[in-house]
Amino acid sequence: MSTIAATVPRGRTRRRVRVDGWRWAGRIFLVFMLLYTALPMIWMLITSIKSGFAAMQFPPQWWPEEPTLASYQKLLDPQNSVGQDFLRFFWNSLFVSTVTTILSVIVAVPAAYAFSRFRFPGRNFLFFAVLLRNMFPAVIFLVPLFILMRAIGLVNTHGSLILTYLTFGLPLAIWLLKGFYDNIPVQLEQAARIDGATRFQAFILIVMPLSTPGIIATAIYSFIGAWNEYIYAYTFLSKNEQLTLPVGIQRFFSENTTDFPGLMAASFMMSVPVVVLFLVLQRYFVRALTEGAVKH
Amino acid sequence: MTIVTGKAETGRRLQPGRSGVLRNVWQHRADYAYVLPAIAVMLVVIAYPIYYTIELSFFKTPPGLQLRDKTFIGFDNYTAILTSPVFWKVTWNTLIWTIGSTFFSFVLGFGAALALHRDFVGRGVLRAILIIPWVISAVAASYIWKWIYHSDFGIIGAVLVGLGLADQPPNFIDNVSTVLPSLIVVNIWREFPFAMIMMMAGLQTVPEQLLRAAEVDGANAWQRFWHVTFPHLRNVSTVTILLLAVANFNSFIIPWIMTGGGPSNASHIWITHIYELAFGRQRWGVASAYSVLLFLMLMVLGYFYVRALAGNERKEGGA
Amino acid sequence: MAHVVLKDLVKTYGGFKAVNDVSLTVNDGEFVALVGPSGCGKTTTLNLIAGLIPITSGDIFIGDRVVNDLDPKDRDIAMVFQNYALYPQKSVYMNLAFPLQMRKLPRDEIDKKVREAAKVLDMTQLLERKPRELSGGQQQRVALGRALVRDPAVFLMDEPLSNLDAKLRVQMRSEIKRFHQDLKATIVYVTHDQLEAVTMADRMAVMNGGFLQQYDSPAQVFAHPANMFVASFVGSPAMSLIPLEASTANGGTVLTSAEGWSLPLSQLNARKVLGATTRKIVLGARHSTIKLHKSAAPGAIPAKAYTVEPTGDVTFVQAFLSGAIVNISVVPNIAVTPDEHIWLEFDQERIHLFDGETEMALHAD
Repeated sequence: MSTIAATVPRGRTRRRVRVDGWRWAGRIFLVFMLLYTALPMIWMLITSIKSGFAAMQFPPQWWPEEPTLASYQKLLDPQNSVGQDFLRFFWNSLFVSTVTTILSVIVAVPAAYAFSRFRFPGRNFLFFAVLLRNMFPAVIFLVPLFILMRAIGLVNTHGSLILTYLTFGLPLAIWLLKGFYDNIPVQLEQAARIDGATRFQAFILIVMPLSTPGIIATAIYSFIGAWNEYIYAYTFLSKNEQLTLPVGIQRFFSENTTDFPGLMAASFMMSVPVVVLFLVLQRYFVRALTEGAVKH
Repeated sequence: MTIVTGKAETGRRLQPGRSGVLRNVWQHRADYAYVLPAIAVMLVVIAYPIYYTIELSFFKTPPGLQLRDKTFIGFDNYTAILTSPVFWKVTWNTLIWTIGSTFFSFVLGFGAALALHRDFVGRGVLRAILIIPWVISAVAASYIWKWIYHSDFGIIGAVLVGLGLADQPPNFIDNVSTVLPSLIVVNIWREFPFAMIMMMAGLQTVPEQLLRAAEVDGANAWQRFWHVTFPHLRNVSTVTILLLAVANFNSFIIPWIMTGGGPSNASHIWITHIYELAFGRQRWGVASAYSVLLFLMLMVLGYFYVRALAGNERKEGGA
Repeated sequence: MAHVVLKDLVKTYGGFKAVNDVSLTVNDGEFVALVGPSGCGKTTTLNLIAGLIPITSGDIFIGDRVVNDLDPKDRDIAMVFQNYALYPQKSVYMNLAFPLQMRKLPRDEIDKKVREAAKVLDMTQLLERKPRELSGGQQQRVALGRALVRDPAVFLMDEPLSNLDAKLRVQMRSEIKRFHQDLKATIVYVTHDQLEAVTMADRMAVMNGGFLQQYDSPAQVFAHPANMFVASFVGSPAMSLIPLEASTANGGTVLTSAEGWSLPLSQLNARKVLGATTRKIVLGARHSTIKLHKSAAPGAIPAKAYTVEPTGDVTFVQAFLSGAIVNISVVPNIAVTPDEHIWLEFDQERIHLFDGETEMALHAD
């Protein structure tokens, strides 16, 4: 009796210690990841509110002695040339990304629906062809696309970017959406068709509303992809007034190499729209990945 | 009174005729309308460039894009590449870059996903913060880190000096031996959230009952992870690692903006090298030959990629 | 309401024939059950009637129209699905209103019909809820309601009760039957549960492997199964089928078992055996027609009890005979224990005989 009583609690404590050990390891790891993730962004913000002089000091001012919003004012002031450029780049990025997003959804939705619902010959081949596009880097397509765009007169237009962004966003968009449609019971459409809807009405009235989270996720993905794209914009556009933000900022700061507060402020401003968009809609995105990418 | 047929023939398969395929395609003609826009865009922007790249790789091309003046030179571009020392240097860099970035992004992302799986106060906020680097533009990330690594005013150098670990701020990205690891750290910073999201999604699909059953059977936390969680995540892990590997192999912005491939090619990877050959030195033919080689290598990766995805497809079909 | 006629209906997938030359008529106001094991083609047949999948060949008439190439929406049908297929984003009210909206009825008329249907099905207080806030039985009722607001020519039901728990299923069974009687509705009802078919349908169409096996009233199907499949599918516990061999002895016909015993046949049954294509004969007997003796009796065959399942009203005994499982029901006060020796007596008037090769029922003619 006494031996049993002695061993049972010991077994229990040992187990609790081990579980706690894992939990502590997890916590320490998360703190490390938080620092790794957040410190660079914090340093960007701190630098952006320094004066050019304060930024160039060694050892650095950990917190600016005289915080200033001068860099932001300069970037957002439509009166001076820097502000004019920045606002124009911003507008260009917004335009290109929005149009790309709308077109992506229009093209991806029917395609994903077809891949999910229909069993047409060649379906698997087409689906993988779409996905394989993910595999190939922009550089491979750059030269021929440049020539192609020149041939159809799209060089130095936003059209060239929209057309290209459409393709690099489509594969994942189709893949994500297909996962959504796979999870919508086909009986819902059948019921709608028996209730008097055409196939198209069943799709628009019943299936589309149910796949809204997937469509939102697809839209965020396309928008972020287009907003952040650099290499095609860098190659296809040369006129200053058409540049998008990543290229515009790079052009500007390769001429003003020491204005780090300005650069950090511009980086921050460039990140705000996509980060806000993502944070507001992230649950759709995570859900889309769960349902689209992982379950099937 | 009763309708009676012969002995039940269950599931006998008839051989479909040859003409069946065409008839089948014809019967489904309406279905293709849904995928047509996607396919059309793909054809213009993918099939044509691939064809054109292969063609160019066999030609000597003049600078400028007056490609009508190109001359056929067979495999010369290819031999030039394979005998050049830069090629081997760049290939080695690409291997280190791809494997290093993929491995650490996956491990850190998976670790974060596991640590975030248990509910605690502030989990949602923490998760959102950890995802941000993936969302912001690689151009912005490059500038942020370039500033952090700055040889005179960089914060890391200042910290190292402040702690007495270095006499002078080290020069991270102007140094042949530290530039690649330094860039990989930036790349991981941007890539691990993707692995984290994928694995978090995967973790949600691990059946709770199975974990309980394992606990009842006496498995400890590690054994539950190893025997239940991990096998369940094999497919997600494969897809995630492949997607990461492809993305890393194809990355361009971070090395291009931060170093432009330098110093002395120490941070050139395939993509930046091809870009420089084409748009920097205007050697279109050689760049195209490089692209074709790249293409062939990607086909190998692609084989595994499709197999992993197809494996998932098959499972879905069986369910 | 209208009648439904299927004529030589065929559906193939690649080379696989899912529905094979099925012909049957559903009369106006009749309740017909399509019944069979999973994969037998019953749901495919229903989907063909609904127009959800195109037919390969044959004709479908609803009323006097050929509807082969009509869209589902133009066939004047309503359908109730196994998973109910309620539109999750719409309230119960909007679910019921949807078919009427699609027919572009004026709003006040829609409202009147929806409220009427809700009243009939006793769910007026549920109208504003979303489907996920309803119990399984309530969802089922909404699905029925959505079918009935439209006043269609034919109701199609695809295993509407199989997602419900056992108790609710029995209750909904009688509700659907009542619904049929009140509306004089033409109903085609798909189920894998022969009990549902037997209890609800005016006629049942038993299917297997894409073929229609038998189409008749439940009583006829039960009393005169056309072949061994129908015999074993309809009735619970299943009819016992014992493989035997026919031979002539002393001027009469006997069925002999490989185990050594034999069963002399009555004159009528002997005539049936004459029509067989082979000497292999399968003897079929329902559990209630076999008499169990606890001691040797004239004409009874020795066997050994294997399992004993008391259900309260009757006790089911299973025994092995000639390699087949035999189900016998006995009154509860006869105590049988497993492994006990028992003797089984078949009722010559009520046994079924099947051709061992073609598996068809044998008739005396």
